Amino acid sequence: MRFNPTELSSSELALQTEVRQFLKTELAPGTHEPCLGMAARKDKSFSMKMAERGWVGMALPKAWGGSDRTAVDRFIVVEEMLRWGAPVGHHWVADRQTGSVILKFGTDEQRKRFLPAICRGELGFSIGMSEPDSGSDLASVSTRAERATGGWLINGTKIWTSGAHENDWFVCLLRTSAMEDGNKHAGLSQILIDLQSDGLEISPIPFLDGSHHFNEVTFNDVFVPDENVVGDVGMGWHQNTTEMAYERGGPDRWLSPFSTIEQLLREAKDTPLEQSVQSLFGELIARYWGIRNLSLSVARLIDSGEAPSIESSLVKEMGTRFEQEVIEKLVQLIELEYSPDSHSLFERMLSQCIVTFPGNTIRGGTIEILRSVAAKGLQGLPV
Amino acid sequence: MSKLIVDELITQTANRLFSEICSHEAIQNAETVGEAPEIWAAYTETGFPWISIDENLGGSGGTLLDALEVLRLVGYYAVPVPAAETGILGGWLLSEAGFQVPEGIVTVLPDQGPDLAIKVDGSQVSITGSAIRVPWARSAEIIAILFHDNGNNYVASVQASDCAITPMTNMAGEPRDTVRFDGVVCSYAEVSKAIDSQSFRFRGALSRVALMAGAIEKMSQMTVSYTNDRVQFGRPVARFQAVQQHLVWAAQDAALSRMAAESAAIEATRGNGAFEIASAKLIANQAASRATKACHQAHGAMGMTQEYPLHHYSRRLWSWRKEYGGDAEWSQWIGQLAVAQGADGLYPLITGGSRVL
Ligand SMILES: Cc1cc2nc3c(=O)[nH]c(=O)nc-3n(C[C@H](O)[C@H](O)[C@H](O)COP(=O)(O)OP(=O)(O)OC[C@H]3O[C@@H](n4cnc5c(N)ncnc54)[C@H](O)[C@@H]3O)c2cc1C
Repeated sequence: MRFNPTELSSSELALQTEVRQFLKTELAPGTHEPCLGMAARKDKSFSMKMAERGWVGMALPKAWGGSDRTAVDRFIVVEEMLRWGAPVGHHWVADRQTGSVILKFGTDEQRKRFLPAICRGELGFSIGMSEPDSGSDLASVSTRAERATGGWLINGTKIWTSGAHENDWFVCLLRTSAMEDGNKHAGLSQILIDLQSDGLEISPIPFLDGSHHFNEVTFNDVFVPDENVVGDVGMGWHQNTTEMAYERGGPDRWLSPFSTIEQLLREAKDTPLEQSVQSLFGELIARYWGIRNLSLSVARLIDSGEAPSIESSLVKEMGTRFEQEVIEKLVQLIELEYSPDSHSLFERMLSQCIVTFPGNTIRGGTIEILRSVAAKGLQGLPV
Repeated sequence: MSKLIVDELITQTANRLFSEICSHEAIQNAETVGEAPEIWAAYTETGFPWISIDENLGGSGGTLLDALEVLRLVGYYAVPVPAAETGILGGWLLSEAGFQVPEGIVTVLPDQGPDLAIKVDGSQVSITGSAIRVPWARSAEIIAILFHDNGNNYVASVQASDCAITPMTNMAGEPRDTVRFDGVVCSYAEVSKAIDSQSFRFRGALSRVALMAGAIEKMSQMTVSYTNDRVQFGRPVARFQAVQQHLVWAAQDAALSRMAAESAAIEATRGNGAFEIASAKLIANQAASRATKACHQAHGAMGMTQEYPLHHYSRRLWSWRKEYGGDAEWSQWIGQLAVAQGADGLYPLITGGSRVL
């Protein structure tokens, strides 16, 4: 394990300036209600505006509509968007992981069909991993795809599916052959499913605050043509593990409360902050600086061709816990009874953080599971 | 922007030398005796103490970044010598004032000697009063004292043998002596306006950050290997998830504080780095607190013995955490700076650091 300090080159700094300028014009402070990190509103027109500048799917090859940019370039765009609380929800999953999965494992046909549309900011994807009886023990999924003429018939249930009610496509981890000799990892495949398919039913699971974030998706003999299988049949577990690596260690794992911290300062502008609150700012800014440096160095490692899986698990585990710590410290210090209906934007945002952040250390693999992965890595065992 | 990197030979040489001369027994012995002349002799042979100091003034050349890499490894091996004091603190003050650095140990007054009366008298000064927690004063040849007079900054070069020294220690048993000056007369010279008590404090913090990053990393690695060897319930305790949590958290703190130390070192070598140094010291302080707790817990009773070397690192970390600024001092300093940037300047401060100030 080694995190090397890294700095942005002049062209990377130019990109940062460009993104900041864009945000200032598109989403002037005071004119938009900032989102909390990756749990951002879906706004297709905003996604398409970003895409016009080449900032969606930017690390994908030009040949497929991307911009051939680096993981660090993507890091720069993403951190600025999240810090600003920009509505990046529509393209989020496609940009972070699905595009890379299709590029890496898909056929040329699939690349042609999906990647340019992803890079135009048009397509929204959902992730179909979890099931009612398969959470952390993901390899035990039992939603089945069975052979049919020219394709597959799918039956079963996916759960906690973020955005299924708004997205276009669903990347599912499915069982394409029965479990053999207890080897759970064999017989799984990744299949792209149109969320408008016949027999596919989406039912909302209200989030704890009543909002509509995730869903249950049931399949009743949903037919999917052969050309929608991503990669090789039976290789789904390996592909899925690769996909999970894309979603760890990035700025989305530590920036969720940032727009709230900024808003506190914005609203306090005329009243001097108490010493204790100032000191808290000191502590948070220092930690942010440290964690960002680690996270940035993971992106740099990816660009040098490495697969920093231990490093990214460590950053995700630390980052998501830090997000919760930030909110806890604000709550400890600021004597207010927060209301989600307050006239104060800060109060509204903080209430939302308090209520939704317990999920930050659960989604995309719990921190307990991440610790097992990281600890094996530290001991030099296969992860 | 120029790329600053550490001379790899320095890392290799320091690793080789320190692993030879710093056995557990040698470190323990230095604590019992109160100094370690053989280790100091081996350390000086490499020229390490004077890296980043001008060769014309008796230094070894090289950059501040190189000197801090050596300090990181001094922390990693718990080398019982006044490396920071002789080099980037005392050696720096002397050479900035145009003094030749001596062959022996140099030390400094970490708290700037608030109780000292320093009287300028022509080409000499006379110093009266006392200073506490002076590292390795008992073994020092020169005590370098930064002082201010009439709006200018000066460095006095005091012969340690002219002072009355009472041995004291920090929690790690490192010498932190009380020094009495009874009208000690010595030479002095002016230094630039930029070298004031604030910049000295930042430099002291920078030295501790490097040492602490090394010590936390060592502790984290020791804990991984101890928990792999220690068997309970028929398997290595590292297989228990509760123990894995300690391993992961300590490894994170090791990575975080080393990243902070190295990033601060780069900015400081460029010439400023106040934001980075302050942030790195606060990060190292907090990381030290969490990591010592995790590593001790994972070691069970063994970590509470003198026989097992964990305490060389944990006790140093508890001491260094409070040297050159604890959590309160640095969080206030950074907090004031951050709040002054306003809401829109907050994130640019994180990404740009001292360079946007
Ligand atoms: C906001 C949010 C959005 C989500 N969106 C999606 C989505 O779009 N698509 C999707 O597929 N999934 C989604 N998920 C589901 C998420 O991936 C799962 O919640 C997660 O993998 C954990 O599974 P579980 O909830 O079934 O918990 P369980 O696996 O039942 O775990 C319960 C507790 O037991 C612990 N535990 C379980 N096994 C172990 C073990 N071996 N060692 C130690 N501890 C263990 C867990 O860490 C946890 O604390 C989302 C979740 C959230 C909160």
